[in-house]
Amino acid sequence: MASISSLAIPPTFEDAVRSHERGLMRYLMRTTGDREDALDLFQETWLRAYRAYPALKAGTTLRPWLFRIALNLCRNRARDRMRRARVMVHDGHELVDRATVPGGDDGAIALGSAINALPPNQRRSLIMRKLDGLSYGEIGASLKCSPESARAHVYQALKKLKSAAD
Amino acid sequence: MSTSARNRELGGERTIDALVEIAHRRMAPRLARVRRPQARVGVVPSPLGRLLVAMSEAGIAMIYFLDVPHGNAADAIAMLRRRFEAIEDQPAVAGIGEEIRRFVAGDLAALITPVDLSLVVSPFQRRVLERLRKVPPGAVMSYQALAAAIGAPRGSRAVGNTMASNPVPVYVPCHRVIRSDGSVGNYGGGVSSKLRLLRAEGFRIGEDRRVAAGAVLGHQRTRIYCRPSCSAARRADPARMMIFADSARARGAGLRACRQCLPG
Repeated sequence: MASISSLAIPPTFEDAVRSHERGLMRYLMRTTGDREDALDLFQETWLRAYRAYPALKAGTTLRPWLFRIALNLCRNRARDRMRRARVMVHDGHELVDRATVPGGDDGAIALGSAINALPPNQRRSLIMRKLDGLSYGEIGASLKCSPESARAHVYQALKKLKSAAD
Repeated sequence: MSTSARNRELGGERTIDALVEIAHRRMAPRLARVRRPQARVGVVPSPLGRLLVAMSEAGIAMIYFLDVPHGNAADAIAMLRRRFEAIEDQPAVAGIGEEIRRFVAGDLAALITPVDLSLVVSPFQRRVLERLRKVPPGAVMSYQALAAAIGAPRGSRAVGNTMASNPVPVYVPCHRVIRSDGSVGNYGGGVSSKLRLLRAEGFRIGEDRRVAAGAVLGHQRTRIYCRPSCSAARRADPARMMIFADSARARGAGLRACRQCLPG
């Protein structure tokens, strides 16, 4: 009878990842320079890796794979922050980084009031799409309309903002 | 700034340990939602060859024939790991080989360990397998009859595919599904294993590998069993028929004898 060890069952994710956790946290602290961000990204990385682990090809080294996930998440977060900062300024509610606003504060405030003047569903769709980065399907689900309607809301909202800017 | 200086600034190794602990505490509720249950895996010898067996908390999640030409333990484990955290544990599965040995030796009540169908994702396949579990020892159905029994009379091919991907053979008795012409058809554990299981259940199967000899036909709806030559049985829809090894087994399954052909 073959011994079980010849079956080569990979270790559970928790066992495999344990020896890399401190390195990962240190890496995230160094990359983000912020305790809360590092904590958030650690959890995100860990859970993503946990989900993907069964499909990992045999022989893949865990550490670089794990750190690649962490790096991608750091980049996503930085990109989302940039986008959010820009939209927040445009939104007129909060002036995060004035230097990034073409046309300065006046333009931002004008755009903010144009967004506030949009019909409710168009405004909500626009914010969910551009600020929160949701898919049309998700927007549709939250507004109880089809993804096509959600797309149309965003299109109409952008069209109105454009004509308000001209 | 050097790495060590930076680490000092970030609070040193003890802080890192504390942060890892905090992160684990915070993600515990999210992890609980996505956590894969554990399955204990081992290899057991059986009259049907070596079997890779996986046991979850709920029951047997997988039985895989290792001694067949296409048997590949790595494939089986990869499939198992999609839903479970696989952990090596030989003693946890040892009893399954013994239950199968007793079953093949003729103790038809030997298979008592419950079954966990978590590896079956498709609702259709789950329906087929749940229905199949109600086919008692000593009875067989055709692929067509099983398809009809779950309300998909044109789904016999899909039923065939379901049998091929049955994660818990023997306990979910896919060996009790045969072709409509009475020949035993194929089996994931090899046709010889299928014949062995069917013979253990009382079927007399000849060289031609057909189960009809000496068997009686039972109707799923009317709950009446007949000789194969009975005119009532010949008129009945073959998709509704089960084949029993003999009259006693048909009676055991709660059917009554036909008053026309008096099968005994």
